[in-house]
Amino acid sequence: MNRITVEPTHKAEYYQQMVQQHGSPLLILDCEQIIKQFNTLSKALPNVKLFYAIKALPHPAAIQTLDTLGAGFDIATSGEIELLRAQSTHARQTIHTHPIKRDEDIRDALRFGCTTFVIDNVWELEKFINYRHRVGLLVRVSFPNPNTPIDLSRKFGCRENEVAILIQKAQSLGLHVKGLSFHAGSQCPDSKNHVYAINQCAKIIDDAYKNTGKLLSVLDIGGGFPVEYMQKTMDIETFCIPIREALKQLPEHIQIIAEPGRFLSAPAMKAVSSVMGKAKRGDNYWYYLDDGVYGSYSGQLFDHATYPLTIFSDINAKELAVIAGPTCDSIDVIAEEINIPPLSIGDIVVGHQMGAYTSATSTHFNLFDKARIIPVNTPDQVSENIVRIDKK
Amino acid sequence: MKAYTETLYDAYAQEFSVDKIYFENKTDHQHLIIFENAKFGRVMALDGIIQTTEADEFIYHEMLTHLPLMAHGNVKRVLIIGGGDGGMLREVCKHSSVEHITQVEIDDQVVEMCKEYLPNHSAGTYDDPRVHIVIDDGANFVHKCADKFDVIISDSTDPIGPGDVLFTATFYADCKKCLTDDGILVTQNGVAYMQLDEVTTTAKRLQPYFSDQSFYSAAVPTYIGGIMTFAWASNNPALRKVSTEKITQRFEAANFKTRYYNPAIHMASFALPQYILDALEFNA
Repeated sequence: MNRITVEPTHKAEYYQQMVQQHGSPLLILDCEQIIKQFNTLSKALPNVKLFYAIKALPHPAAIQTLDTLGAGFDIATSGEIELLRAQSTHARQTIHTHPIKRDEDIRDALRFGCTTFVIDNVWELEKFINYRHRVGLLVRVSFPNPNTPIDLSRKFGCRENEVAILIQKAQSLGLHVKGLSFHAGSQCPDSKNHVYAINQCAKIIDDAYKNTGKLLSVLDIGGGFPVEYMQKTMDIETFCIPIREALKQLPEHIQIIAEPGRFLSAPAMKAVSSVMGKAKRGDNYWYYLDDGVYGSYSGQLFDHATYPLTIFSDINAKELAVIAGPTCDSIDVIAEEINIPPLSIGDIVVGHQMGAYTSATSTHFNLFDKARIIPVNTPDQVSENIVRIDKK
Repeated sequence: MKAYTETLYDAYAQEFSVDKIYFENKTDHQHLIIFENAKFGRVMALDGIIQTTEADEFIYHEMLTHLPLMAHGNVKRVLIIGGGDGGMLREVCKHSSVEHITQVEIDDQVVEMCKEYLPNHSAGTYDDPRVHIVIDDGANFVHKCADKFDVIISDSTDPIGPGDVLFTATFYADCKKCLTDDGILVTQNGVAYMQLDEVTTTAKRLQPYFSDQSFYSAAVPTYIGGIMTFAWASNNPALRKVSTEKITQRFEAANFKTRYYNPAIHMASFALPQYILDALEFNA
């Protein structure tokens, strides 16, 4: 169930101004939060090069912000490549991590200048024969994690005992496998699976050298770094201590990289929606917002996330209520069985932690417009001090 | 100081300092840039790959032009596929025997942009009355073309990208159709040490259509990784074996200046290193 905070109405002023200026619904993207998250994770994982998984929030302002910080980028499709190209991001700072690709996807990535690709099976490996002199490959290994809401080792990744076979096959085809990658899961409650995966990869790297002389030089530890939605999560420093320890066993020549998406983007965006209608049905007040699970709140379906909400009221009395989205579908409900002060048409509801897998997965169902993303505190804005948000 | 790093290979790259950007375009699903470099002058790169530089382009353009034209000895009609920068045109125009040049460029903006930013490449030859510019896809042009040419020069981009159709068997077959009996097709064929597959693939695709097929080479500094190979295809084996005396005679009679090409280079450039010969034999 969504955690709902009630704030006094004067605290809604900033959001009201934004709605007046830009319309409703909105997503306010605070680039300073991205910088903060990037710095926090960089500090928790020193010597790990971070490649932002742009699928989480494929927005130019997020990319520009991370580019100025020296981040790399994790891309998976030609559409994401187009977005990066428009931002002038240097292609040698990108990795293509989709384990399943069409030939034109590979060609698009090569034309962009991305030369690192991920494979997890022999059919995928064979797709690179024509490009064998140009690419470096990572083999994605599966480490299932039953403790995460999204197990990223079910759909992709080879078994540990298949890595040696793939490396051998690659060598016979004249292809260069330069390292391994894994995904410990998304929004991991702890880093146990990361540590297990690092330990196993260390063995695979060691065995490859001992048994065949094959030198692997990259380990991609994926993402899975948690952010707080409804439940208290481990802070990132505590989460990363065991990872840092596990990484120490790797030989010095191994470059460690990671692909954080959610961790960098989730806290950076807030959804600002307006009540567009209300009704009393049985014991419940129904409030219909202009954004819902087919829009910015799509992560409540696709991403198994539940976002903390803020409403603004100076009334103490609370009533049983439902907060629903605008579409004609009855699944489009954001929160129910909640007790909140009465809302009026036009009131603002704010959703928090809504930077990752929100607008990225929103739809045009009913042909409702998607919420506009308004970037604030962008790298150039910060220097000019134009817009500051959340001054408390 | 800014830098431009080529993104052709995962394990190896060349980097240029960028003193000034003259032109940059990131629309149309591609990235085109022209910048100033202290060592190579104006550099043009497309999609992370160096296309041409003012300082070393003469090697490439002279070798793709003068080898076939001198070997033929009486070229009247030339077809250039690609070559929007105008460098090939400049070299072909030096030959007074040539009466007609058709250049097929897929994008008229490339021609205009190169006239503006790389004027030394074409050196005014776009105004030569023998020159006819066609804006069309090169593969499409030769497929439909009913005219014949004595020499066809394919000045293409890398096979991964817009130039990919210029490396197909269909394109080579259409080129053969457009060549006179003693006609010669030459093509840009990549840096052999780095992209040996391009040499073997091209050889396989050319052989069904031409009784004489081989490669010749030159080292172009900014096409990094060693010698660049040029494919040579004709149905007259004697053209590849014209004597030094004859080439020298023709070159002296032609009476123009070159900076890389000369009769000795002409003869020597057909010599291929053993690793290329082995790869060709292995794949034959």
